[in-house]
Amino acid sequence: MLFNSIEFAIFFPAVVAMYFLSPQRLRVGLLLTASCFFYMAFIPAYILILFFTILIDYVAGIYIEKVEGPKKKAFLVVSIVSTCVVLFIFKYFGFFTSSFEGLAGLFGWPVPHYVLKIILPIGLSFHTFQSLSYVIEVYRGKQRAERDFIVYATYVMFFPQLVAGPIERPQNLLHQFREWHEFDYGNVTSGLKRMGWGFFKKLVVADRLALYVNDVYAAPRGHNGLQLTIATVFFAYQIYCDFSGYSDIAIGAAQVLGFRLMENFRTPYYSLSISEFWHRWHISLSTWFKDYLYIPLGGSRVSKRRHIANLLITFGISGLWHGANWTYVWWGLLNGSYLVMGSLTKSWRDRLFSAVGLHDRSFIRKAIMLLSTFILTCFAWIIFRAHSMGDAVYVATHLFSGWDFGNIKTPQFLLRQMPVALASILALEVGQLLARRKTPFNVLGKMPVSARWAAYAAFVILVVMFGIYQNRQFIYFQF
Amino acid sequence: MYRQEASTEVSDNFSSVIVDVPRASSCETAAVRTKTLSGSKPPSTALWALRRLICFFAILTVMVFALNAMITSGLRRIKTSQYGAWNQMMDGKINARIVITGSSRAASHYDPRIIAATAGRSAFNLGRNGSQTDMQVAVLKAYLEHNQKPEIVVHNLDAFTFETSHEVYAFAQYVPYLYDNEIYAPLRKITPDTWKSRYVPLYGYVVDDMNFSWMLGIRGFFGWSPKGDFFQGFDPRLKPWTDDFDSFRASNPNGVSWPIEPEGIQVMEDLARLCQERGIQLIFVYSPEYIEMQKLTNNRAEVFGHFHELAARYHVPLWDYSDWSYAADTQYFTNSQHLNAQGAKLFSEDIASRLQQYISAQASSNADLRVAH
Repeated sequence: MLFNSIEFAIFFPAVVAMYFLSPQRLRVGLLLTASCFFYMAFIPAYILILFFTILIDYVAGIYIEKVEGPKKKAFLVVSIVSTCVVLFIFKYFGFFTSSFEGLAGLFGWPVPHYVLKIILPIGLSFHTFQSLSYVIEVYRGKQRAERDFIVYATYVMFFPQLVAGPIERPQNLLHQFREWHEFDYGNVTSGLKRMGWGFFKKLVVADRLALYVNDVYAAPRGHNGLQLTIATVFFAYQIYCDFSGYSDIAIGAAQVLGFRLMENFRTPYYSLSISEFWHRWHISLSTWFKDYLYIPLGGSRVSKRRHIANLLITFGISGLWHGANWTYVWWGLLNGSYLVMGSLTKSWRDRLFSAVGLHDRSFIRKAIMLLSTFILTCFAWIIFRAHSMGDAVYVATHLFSGWDFGNIKTPQFLLRQMPVALASILALEVGQLLARRKTPFNVLGKMPVSARWAAYAAFVILVVMFGIYQNRQFIYFQF
Repeated sequence: MYRQEASTEVSDNFSSVIVDVPRASSCETAAVRTKTLSGSKPPSTALWALRRLICFFAILTVMVFALNAMITSGLRRIKTSQYGAWNQMMDGKINARIVITGSSRAASHYDPRIIAATAGRSAFNLGRNGSQTDMQVAVLKAYLEHNQKPEIVVHNLDAFTFETSHEVYAFAQYVPYLYDNEIYAPLRKITPDTWKSRYVPLYGYVVDDMNFSWMLGIRGFFGWSPKGDFFQGFDPRLKPWTDDFDSFRASNPNGVSWPIEPEGIQVMEDLARLCQERGIQLIFVYSPEYIEMQKLTNNRAEVFGHFHELAARYHVPLWDYSDWSYAADTQYFTNSQHLNAQGAKLFSEDIASRLQQYISAQASSNADLRVAH
């Protein structure tokens, strides 16, 4: 079930009402049932795959806690391998076989062509990682194994974050299913406001920009440099608003029910370095890779060469997590390279800024850093969005050639859409800037209730009226 | 993301500010009041909170319904453009003696002003952009429901006449009229989700429309009508020849074959029967098509075979303008399918005089019959 559907508009209030009317002993079961219903709205049979991984990790968690020594590790390995096998079969089988075929073809080896005609279960990478984080934390002794199967299954399947995160940690979420959540007006309204902001990002900004981006990136060779540049910048906003919009809706929906999910985005395009960007972008995944891959590899407390390798390995795998395509791997490696270069040139850049009189807090220095970070990020998004490396290279090398101001529109994105698209980006930025100063709520909080409600109602209606409903699926669902 | 370097920490409280997310230190105490499982009852303020929420959403719902009504009412007040043509039809203000039906080719080829002046009978163009025969017949039925029956229906044929609708083009044009079953039923047949546009407020205007028609509605509500670009339903194309056809030919070097669906033939038979039952003279006209496009249509003979067969079976005149004098001259076309305003003027004059002759011939034939009796 999509958040931006009529079905969800009926489903969610019904679940909230039933949840708060139910006694505690029924609440977790209710959430699990609702989550199953939510998930089965996509492809019902795939719930069995989810059930399989849940069962494996549930049993593994109990045994990991119960036993010691090599057996403990063996249970962890069995759990991780079996969970990852599911991910491999559904997500990476085709990628690896085709890559292997390509490699074998280079040497002239005949390799039979294997094709698995299966659809990737929605959100598989997300709940796989959430399950993995549970067994690893149990193994590390930081989390007690969950004995109640219903509670554990609900932890993995909790519908607000089931298909696109945030990827939760058991320490943060699991215990919340055992707590009594009162119906709290402040919580409910805050959650709804958060959802409203998420819908604005998704429906008004992301899906409108997607019309342009889809047209241009479907056939980059048929578009001029200006269109390629606009599409690339639009994609930066599209993917941010699509994914952070989903996270806002997920966090808001959970908050309405009284649950706290971790923050996933902190206005990443205001970052002054790529390193900072990755502290603010998809935080739940970044910290997952940090905790379970980068740090175990040795992190930064190793030789310089090893540190560089750790960064590239982590980002390469992070890229592959995003999709079974070499473009994602290259995108990850490019971001890893940015970090390596950033680290190697930091002292040199600091000296250069000092030499021209731009101190740490200088506005111009910050502006240069912000802009250069945004440009580097956009450049990386080209690889992420392109269908192939050939397309990515074409876009990257033709961004500034043949600009034609008389030819901006695309088949789906007529010129009348442009003012609305630009205004929506402006509204997003203004909203984010004002929010940093708490202005909207300072102003709204002082208003009489009628004026405040009118403002909220106007916001909802504007989102509804300016929303786009043609491209409804969230980008990150495919991951 | 993983380096432990001290990066500049940009203060970013956006998410927590805009949504009042409780901070980690205060969330237990402030917003999410968690208790043990003994199941303490919600405080009495819960009822107050619930009332407030219900009240807010009730007001919001009323506003949404009101806005929907305002947009519909506004669109129905418009006197010009496509909506103006619709409104005249649905309000029963046309009552023309000659009615033209068809797709965008009909809408842009037949100027009722010229036809009326020459044929001496009022005329109106019911052509609909992007419509297939099933929707064209639906529009005609809606017309007949609200207006006096015409003497003549000129139905413009296309090479794709026998292809039924698989999606609805420019859905928003139909939304203000979904309460009319002649419009609603065929739309529902094509898109089962049409009920949402009929019953869920704003759905039809925002989900199924990317052209901001709702803005026209709001402006229409306050008495504003868009620039008059429709003339008694006639939608002239002002653009000169574009490169659309060259692109089309380049992407279809081996030509195209238009589907001939049994349902499409059935719809044409329905049209013929409808006119017969109502005593309306039906005339099939294949209006001019750019000559190069005719060559590119692989199954043109087959399509025309069906036209002739239908025309013979239902005794309907078929006027074929495929070899129109200017069919090879791009000066009179916008693209392969559509005449531009200049071409439409010439064609309208041609068809008007032919209609006039036809009406005269019919009248004298009727007079002869009366004398014979």
